[in-house]
Amino acid sequence: MDIFVENLVQIWDDGGDGIVALDGITHHFASAKLTCLLGPSGCGKSTLTQIVGGIEQATSGTIRIIDPANPATPARPGERSVMMWQNLNLFPWRNVIDNVAFGLEMAGVPRAQRYTHARDMIASVGLKHFEEKRCSQLSGGMRQRVALARALVMDQPILLMDEPFAALDAQTKIVMQEELTRIFERMRKTILFVTHAIDEAILLGDEVVVMTARPGRIKEVIKIDLPRPRSQELINTPEFGDLYDRILHLIREEVLNAMQQQNEAAAQ
Amino acid sequence: MSIKKRLKKSKDPLWLRLLPIASVVLFLAIWEAVVRLRGIAPIILPAPSAIADYLALMIADGSLPFHLGVTFLRIMAGFLVAGFFGILLGVLMGMSRIVSRLLDPWIAALYPLPKISLIPLLIIWLGTGEAYILTISAISAFFPVVISTYAGIRQADQGLLRAARDLGANERQVQLKVVIPAAVPSIFSGLHLGMGVTIILVVAAEMIGASSQSGMGYLLIRYGQVLETEKVFAALLVLAVFGGVIIKAQERIDRWIAPWAVGKP
Repeated sequence: MDIFVENLVQIWDDGGDGIVALDGITHHFASAKLTCLLGPSGCGKSTLTQIVGGIEQATSGTIRIIDPANPATPARPGERSVMMWQNLNLFPWRNVIDNVAFGLEMAGVPRAQRYTHARDMIASVGLKHFEEKRCSQLSGGMRQRVALARALVMDQPILLMDEPFAALDAQTKIVMQEELTRIFERMRKTILFVTHAIDEAILLGDEVVVMTARPGRIKEVIKIDLPRPRSQELINTPEFGDLYDRILHLIREEVLNAMQQQNEAAAQ
Repeated sequence: MSIKKRLKKSKDPLWLRLLPIASVVLFLAIWEAVVRLRGIAPIILPAPSAIADYLALMIADGSLPFHLGVTFLRIMAGFLVAGFFGILLGVLMGMSRIVSRLLDPWIAALYPLPKISLIPLLIIWLGTGEAYILTISAISAFFPVVISTYAGIRQADQGLLRAARDLGANERQVQLKVVIPAAVPSIFSGLHLGMGVTIILVVAAEMIGASSQSGMGYLLIRYGQVLETEKVFAALLVLAVFGGVIIKAQERIDRWIAPWAVGKP
């Protein structure tokens, strides 16, 4: 699915003039590509993802979500996408399989059928035999897998990922990144991946959209032409190092801006 | 965690782990010794050994089991009525702004009122029979249950609601499949508070009204009035153990119904 975002503006009501979270975002998120949104905290990258996912309403601007095979009938935001949340939002009262099958259950898929789908997806994220466990009994990395399976089982062409690996320890993160790479290369979904980690953005993305500190604008779009399938070994290549430096310079300035803003806000 | 597990897991030295038991034994020994050496009259302070004798006697003649059983049934009746209506109204208030606006002033006005002060009025209306005991205990337990349920529904994690909607849940499904289950820990804590006040109010009502002449409250008052202090102590001991058992049982039931909710506010 191609996602065309045009002149998107998001202003949060703060009782005064409003806080401009997104200021005229225009971008084409290409179909079947993994686009990373990179920027300092508070730059509106999560907001942008949620607007694309139909979870938030933008103040103004347009989003067109178009299936290249069927361009005549665009989809509504949220209609063909599913979100994987930063804090996962697993339902603690449901075990693994009932979490994964939640969306199918809401859609009225009969129990036997949705369990078959859910079981397959649980197995494919490497959680076979954990179907009946409560989520609180799982480790952080395993909970990530549950959340990933819960999103993937919806079989939507667009996957929105809001810093899903931010809370993981370094080793688990590497494993999950490789897992996502593998899944992406197999399923070829359109993925928007929010992150504040430069190496993660380069490793995963076909494209990295670097955003400015608030108000969020697109500072630069960087193509990542590293060959797929990719693995962690890429990090040691000179191409990776060049990209890292380039993005680091872009982002450093914005992080400093964001810190300045925070200091000013704190001083008030 | 059970005491046994705690003992096993603890790395404290043996003497430190036995200290709680030693503390109780020592206290009882001093009590016994003081009563015997000073020759304190049993109607003022009976010795622990005498209390134990009377306790055995009251169990053997069936009076304690009977009165305890009656009190237990009353507590259960009041608790179930309060639990049912408390959860029902709490859920309705949480889901409908109309219901919450309608009920808010009543709950705000009646919650702070000490429920025991309703006893005279209830006796005028209902007499001193079972209806009065049931009503006073149910009314008292109702408030913590309804308030906790309402709060639990209102404070449902917004992230979970958004996730559910994103996964295609409609508003009715969000309410039934997310909001209500999310309120379960809060409902449990309301039920625990409710159980506590039900026990208090049933025993108090048995003391004050009690035309039925039964129940632990009635026993306590009667033995107190005729200065059978040993029996007063025996009844108190039984009530304390009984309260502990009920609370433990409730925790067990919580764990059985919703293991994920245990230990959360």
